[in-house]
Amino acid sequence: MKNILRFESVSYTYHTVHGEVVAAKDLTFSVNEGEFVAIIGPSGCGKTTLLSLAAGLLKPSAGTIESRGSFGYMLQKDELFPWRTIEKNIFLPLEIRHLKEPRHRERAVGLAQKYGLGDFLKSYPAQLSGGMRQRAALIRTLATDPDILLLDEPFSALDYQTRLNVCEDVANIIRTEKKTALLITHDISEAISLADRVLVLTARPARVAHAHTLDFGDVPPLKRREQSSFSGWFECLWKELNT
Amino acid sequence: MKNNNYSKEHARYLRGRRRNTALVWACRIGLLMLLLGLWELITFCGWVDPFIMSSPSRIAKTIASLYADGSLFYHIGVTLWETLAGFAIAVALGFFVALLLWWSETLRKVLEPYIVVINALPKIALGPLIIIWFGTGSKAIVFMTVLVGVIVSILHMLSAFIATDPNKILLLKSMGASKPQVLLKLVLPSAYPAVISMLKVNVGMAWIGSIMGEYIVSRAGLGYLIVYGGQVFKLDLVMSATFILCLLAAGMYALVVLLEKILIKDTQH
Repeated sequence: MKNILRFESVSYTYHTVHGEVVAAKDLTFSVNEGEFVAIIGPSGCGKTTLLSLAAGLLKPSAGTIESRGSFGYMLQKDELFPWRTIEKNIFLPLEIRHLKEPRHRERAVGLAQKYGLGDFLKSYPAQLSGGMRQRAALIRTLATDPDILLLDEPFSALDYQTRLNVCEDVANIIRTEKKTALLITHDISEAISLADRVLVLTARPARVAHAHTLDFGDVPPLKRREQSSFSGWFECLWKELNT
Repeated sequence: MKNNNYSKEHARYLRGRRRNTALVWACRIGLLMLLLGLWELITFCGWVDPFIMSSPSRIAKTIASLYADGSLFYHIGVTLWETLAGFAIAVALGFFVALLLWWSETLRKVLEPYIVVINALPKIALGPLIIIWFGTGSKAIVFMTVLVGVIVSILHMLSAFIATDPNKILLLKSMGASKPQVLLKLVLPSAYPAVISMLKVNVGMAWIGSIMGEYIVSRAGLGYLIVYGGQVFKLDLVMSATFILCLLAAGMYALVVLLEKILIKDTQH
């Protein structure tokens, strides 16, 4: 398996007038093609910084970040533009990248139809439920056919019921589309139910403390939660997070 | 959604709402009639001197005579033109400067104290300067109108531009958006409600500016009629011009509200 994203002794320091904060230090890990990696860490450990580094929005203070391929970034809230229809929202990344050929738009619309948004293309975000909106946000992320998906706690703004459903949804879409994904979350069970591999970060400055390869294979999130090994993983990660 | 098969209860609710709206309107008009009637009564009976207080009938007569000698629409036209020109320039200039300040944080920091000072300065203090620079014609009054409106417009639009959701900006940047793209795709569309509220605020500002300007320099217009009427003790003229001003300002505000309704229907904001 090939690396598609690699952090090599990456450090990152924030500067403000009041001083400097070392958000990450000597951070090393990699993500393989087609893999779903979840990163968990104590709150405030610089998880979002890490995604911004991966996406190239921030430059590391030291170390190197190698990546092959393009990124799609998904945030906590759907961030759909309320003045655009779902269709126009999904076309947004195409507009930004000047991908004007009809095949790009057809592809995006095809994805929307495939994953149950076909009837809502002409609707406005306010007319959709929270779960449907987050699904639309994922389709928007997929519209440019990115190689790596960066997911920044994409379910944390949803209520519990919706959260489980959207999690199932997103896992299904990502596996079907054979995408590589890097998920950042503080929710241990979410990490276990989605990922192939889980990395546990230390408190600031963030460093990889533990790495685990999960043995669930292609089992979808809700089914994983029913398996006996789930609680074992939960306990293990819980302890590691709290040390 | 249109649905005409309402339950009886809902139909009753709708009837109640309609009755309430009708009641509010009846009271509004009734109150106006009452005030005008009282005014007319106390001046007609001589309880107060109509020479000091004027009266509705005298206002009507004054407006009729202004109309008869052809000066009514002349004065309205002058003031309306000055107000609209000042309004348009203040809005456009305010919007444009706010954009520049949004674009460059350094420029924003450099100009901040200047804007604060100009905002706090009572514009009327510049009256003598304006007369000397622009003469005593419409140009001076339009300048005064712009001066009164532009700073408020800048501050209003700038705060709207700056309030753009940082997460949405992050999203666009993660898609590789350039600054002009962030501006066009996100900042301008999300500042849209602020544009409407800026227009509303500026209706008031423009009238303040144009009437203030006419107080200082003019030889025509409604503000001129008010000042002239005051100087020669023609209170009927003062009241008539004020009454027409009320109508014009309300009409202009109504136009902006109408514009808002049309635009909102277009975009489902």
